[in-house]
Amino acid sequence: MLYLFATFVVLLLMVTGTRGLTLLFGLGINVISVIALLVLIADGFNILVTTGIIAIVILVVAIYMNVENGNTANTAFQTSLLIMIFILLITIPLEYWASAQGMGPENQDELESFSLAAGISFPQLAIAIIVINSLGVISETSVAITSGLNEIVSNKPTLTPTEIFNDGFSVGNKILNTQTNTLLFNFFSATFPLFFLIHSLGYKFTDILNDKLVVAEILTTLICTIGVILTVPITSFLVYHKANKVKLRKTDN
Amino acid sequence: MKKNIRLLVIVGLIVLFATSLTYFDSFLYHDPVVKVENVAITSKQTSTDEYKNTDTEYTQKVRAKLLNTDKRGQTVSFRNTYYNSQLTDTKYRVGQQVILTKSGKGYAAKNVKRDTPLVFTFGLVIFLLYCMKFDRRKLFISVLINVVIYFGYLQIIIGTHNSILLPLTAVTALLISATALLVILGPTYSALMAYSSTVISTTIAILLSVFVLSMTGYSGMHLELDDFELQPYLGVFLSQVLFGVLGVILDETMDISSSLIEMKKEVTDVSAKTLFKSGINIGRELIGPLINILLFIVIAGNLNVVLLYLSNGNSVSYTLNMTLSLGIAQLLISAIGIVLTVPITSFISSKVITRR
Repeated sequence: MLYLFATFVVLLLMVTGTRGLTLLFGLGINVISVIALLVLIADGFNILVTTGIIAIVILVVAIYMNVENGNTANTAFQTSLLIMIFILLITIPLEYWASAQGMGPENQDELESFSLAAGISFPQLAIAIIVINSLGVISETSVAITSGLNEIVSNKPTLTPTEIFNDGFSVGNKILNTQTNTLLFNFFSATFPLFFLIHSLGYKFTDILNDKLVVAEILTTLICTIGVILTVPITSFLVYHKANKVKLRKTDN
Repeated sequence: MKKNIRLLVIVGLIVLFATSLTYFDSFLYHDPVVKVENVAITSKQTSTDEYKNTDTEYTQKVRAKLLNTDKRGQTVSFRNTYYNSQLTDTKYRVGQQVILTKSGKGYAAKNVKRDTPLVFTFGLVIFLLYCMKFDRRKLFISVLINVVIYFGYLQIIIGTHNSILLPLTAVTALLISATALLVILGPTYSALMAYSSTVISTTIAILLSVFVLSMTGYSGMHLELDDFELQPYLGVFLSQVLFGVLGVILDETMDISSSLIEMKKEVTDVSAKTLFKSGINIGRELIGPLINILLFIVIAGNLNVVLLYLSNGNSVSYTLNMTLSLGIAQLLISAIGIVLTVPITSFISSKVITRR
């Protein structure tokens, strides 16, 4: 494993030069943040509050360390923050409704030697899992759409909100497609062992449709997709708002 | 505009209709389905285990009305025990639909009926897509084809008892990435460039990683602790790596190759060397965010197990070693792939573009 890590570092430095050090630093902070989150939750801190705080730290690192243009970074950060709050708001009722927390009967073998009275709220953890899952996708999407849209807007003398929204969607189409692919392929990656096991357990179709683990995986993928979809209108709105402010200031002078 | 609103109302109604359909579909179920009408807690016991975790065990008596079978409309009752933390058990609530099994003369709870929230969330995604001016057709086509391919893949691995898992995953990966590229870029040169770059980068990354890992005999990796301890361990692990990384590498190759094509359009006499250099410059900015995407997806996927280990009195390092070693290895292989994609795509694109 150490060799694998060394291979990664060497290749990274060969391809990106000194920029690679910044990248490694950013990744390091993210990994430390996640470990801090795990330890804090295990120590009994409120899961949703801790996840919210750590998620903000992660978004700051992921966006400000990777984006050089300050204006783009600000808009992308605001967008991802709004999306994260929105995801939290829809995940809480959906997870409550679906009760898709924790582990399922398929995990029985792994659980044998454990005390299941863990004292941790797994329903809340299920919400945290979806939020954390979405962080990378959301920060990437918001940065991509903001920088694409800013470039278009800076070359245009006049702006109407309809125009900006249309531009947002033309930039957003490709990003929506690629991010959906990433989410979908990761869903494949996570579920093929599950479906294989489910088959050997002889589940019926209705069993699969209501299975805790299957539903949890599908919900995660769908909710992250919702986050990606909403990035476009929110970014368009913020970019329009900012461009307007700049214009007003110019006419005032 | 008016037409848009009409379409939106129709889509909204279809979503609501489909959701409510699953609410009344208990007649399709072979097992008895009930709607919980009354819940009473009959006993409650708070205990602290050897690791100082305090949890409360509840027993609830659930009264519920049968929604299907020939005893439809009758009220049944059953007992359910759950911990407050609800790792593997569930607290039932009034109004919830529950699937039961017969146990002796009475009934026991089997599962929560989750199809309604599932269909609702799916409908919400569709509805949001119709609210906005996305090119929905492309998205639906590519997702549909890929899901069909995945379904076929599952059928074959089940049929062959997992014996040819890895070659099958490779073929599936070739198919789904081709579908994705053809739908997004169309049958163009840039799609072909992105495709060959994706295939070559992914293959080199996985072969290189397997070589490095096998030098040390996979030490430090608990291959046997993969999802559900499914065999063959290495095949399952590498298949998961392949599916996981494919999406981001596709994203990367498309970005680099289409930027270079744009550049060629603007500066017609650009040299292959300049294109290669700009390719590296563009790719450099993509590496960090793409690794981040996989980092959080992989960690989120293991969160339940990690916290179970931690709450059972294991140290942080032992926990990470047992639960995340595979995830970290997956991440490192993916990261190597993401890094390698930059020079490989830049090289292929710069050569192909200047020659055309």
